[in-house]
Amino acid sequence: MRRTPAKRRPTVRRIKPAIVSDPSRAPAPARIESVPSSRLAGFRSAAAVDLSVDLGRGLVLENPVLVASGTFGYGVEYGDVVDVQALGAICCKGTTLRPRIGNQPPRVTETPAGMLNSIGLQNPGVDGVIEKYAPLWATWRVPVIVNVAGESIEDYVGVVRKLEGVPGIAGIELNISCPNVGKGGLQFAVDAEAAHAVTAAVRAETALPLMVKLSPNVADVRAIARAIEEGGADSISAINTLSGIAVDLHARRPLLGNVYGGVSGPAIKPIALRVVYEVAQVVDIPVVGIGGIGSTEDALEFFLVGASAVQVGTAIFADPTVPARIVEGLARYCAEHGHGAVSELVGLALPKGPRARAVPPSVKGVEYRP
Amino acid sequence: MHLLSAELVESREILPGQHLQTYLAPDLALGAKAGQFVHMRTPDYSGLVLRRPFSVNTADRERGLITIHFRITGKGSEWIARSRPGERLEMLGPLGRPFEVDPRSRHMLLVAGGLGIAGLRMLADEAVEKGRRVVLLFGAARAAEVYPSALLPDEVEYVVASDDGSVGHHGFVTDLVAEYEAWADQAFACGPFAMLKALAGQAAGRDARLGVARLGGKRRTRGRAPALGSPLARRRAFLQVSMEQHMGCAVGACLGCVVMGARGAPQRVCREGPVFASDEIDWEIGW
Repeated sequence: MRRTPAKRRPTVRRIKPAIVSDPSRAPAPARIESVPSSRLAGFRSAAAVDLSVDLGRGLVLENPVLVASGTFGYGVEYGDVVDVQALGAICCKGTTLRPRIGNQPPRVTETPAGMLNSIGLQNPGVDGVIEKYAPLWATWRVPVIVNVAGESIEDYVGVVRKLEGVPGIAGIELNISCPNVGKGGLQFAVDAEAAHAVTAAVRAETALPLMVKLSPNVADVRAIARAIEEGGADSISAINTLSGIAVDLHARRPLLGNVYGGVSGPAIKPIALRVVYEVAQVVDIPVVGIGGIGSTEDALEFFLVGASAVQVGTAIFADPTVPARIVEGLARYCAEHGHGAVSELVGLALPKGPRARAVPPSVKGVEYRP
Repeated sequence: MHLLSAELVESREILPGQHLQTYLAPDLALGAKAGQFVHMRTPDYSGLVLRRPFSVNTADRERGLITIHFRITGKGSEWIARSRPGERLEMLGPLGRPFEVDPRSRHMLLVAGGLGIAGLRMLADEAVEKGRRVVLLFGAARAAEVYPSALLPDEVEYVVASDDGSVGHHGFVTDLVAEYEAWADQAFACGPFAMLKALAGQAAGRDARLGVARLGGKRRTRGRAPALGSPLARRRAFLQVSMEQHMGCAVGACLGCVVMGARGAPQRVCREGPVFASDEIDWEIGW
């Protein structure tokens, strides 16, 4: 096995096609020169495990643990408590064409094994994000994926046009499933045609890697997922929050200022696993699992049902070091179980076995790097 | 900001349902300033996914101790109240922006509504230490809920109001402010929204009513006025309030804990606050 020298940047590790497309073959470590030959025989060290994941169109992450939109702000808020460079990628807070002040509080409350939030997409608008944060992101090793929200196709397209070519922006996560804004977003996630339309419209406008975030608040998520893939998405993230309500018993009215909120946390993990399980069987593009992930074990379950990567969200609030610990945990698990790459785990629990990668690996390179 | 586990040293119920806990956390004791808070993880890791914010009630720098004072309001606070000395609880802090005391302030008026005392308690210590005069106005529903005076520094002048008249002034704590507003150089408050709103109304008319010049006013207005929300602007405001809101991350990432600002922009209680100058808040919108 030789590394492909063409078009590579030194910081990028590519997944080798042979490993991805045929996991049954004996896996070779991705970085041969970094592995002492003594270790190649039997025991594998955690450091030698290939954690990289290819989300298409050149978005190759060093590890498959992302932080979910809305739970990690713009990557700066946790300061030195978290080493952001150790993350696979950061999905920033939902970004709209114009600034939004968001919903009336209370905006968050705890629920059994989870929480409800109804922020209402408070954000400084795409211009604000580009001005305030992109220059900093451009200096980071960790890719930042901008979560884009809107109320119409024109909104989405407008935001994406502005993000195109901005240094520091590694990709787009299309939020067509925010349950917390009056007319916004969610209608695109509940209808296959609309999902296709918005994905295709955005695809036509951008060369950035495009991830589309699914809502669980639908009858059949598979039809939507297929439509999104046909629309030209490079990957699918699933799931967004589930629509829910909390009641203030003392005041005898809905607790949240917006009445409706999105449920997240351990409570929704079984639903998220089911959605990833279903989606991974009907699309060829990578699926990024989200929903109640708070430990290495949780993340592993998502890989087994077909996720190529995971996003950690609510768990960060309890412990901001969770994503980094999952990265370590995945490497340790793979080493202990004789896997040379975490990608070997993807889809092992699916009825037809591991996901064969139909989409060719990225060749474009990582052009968002400064 | 530190992420650490703190050992519970002492826990006692100082009022019915209200607990005072002492933790060994030298980094927090050294770093925390009055008005700041810590975000505590409950010992029930599986069911309760959010941390709980608590004002740093007091800090003992020499011994590395901090205290928190809270009421049991739900499962999280119940778990924390049930913890026993020797147990370690995870804390994130110190968080938020502290009270801004003008170095020239001699007389400080503190107004606490119920558990709001926890947000002001450390400020009283800091003021007494610096030789400032402190009057603490305390409002409670009834005598049984009045903060024990034994827990306050001797130097603090303590005046109590109760809703049912069972102790002190019969009525709202805000009724007592008029008597002290001329005496005070600065006022600081923590308590229910309605109380803070009433105080903000009183503070807004104070300078005109008394015909007093604010400390340093003349000199500063010559140049540019300090930006709304800056430490200097807060120091110059007569009243600073410590606000409460349902909180998620406590570091400014999730935008859960906002209150509406005077200029129509939501302000994060965890980041721009919890302390605000009273003129930074839109008191009418009811956010």
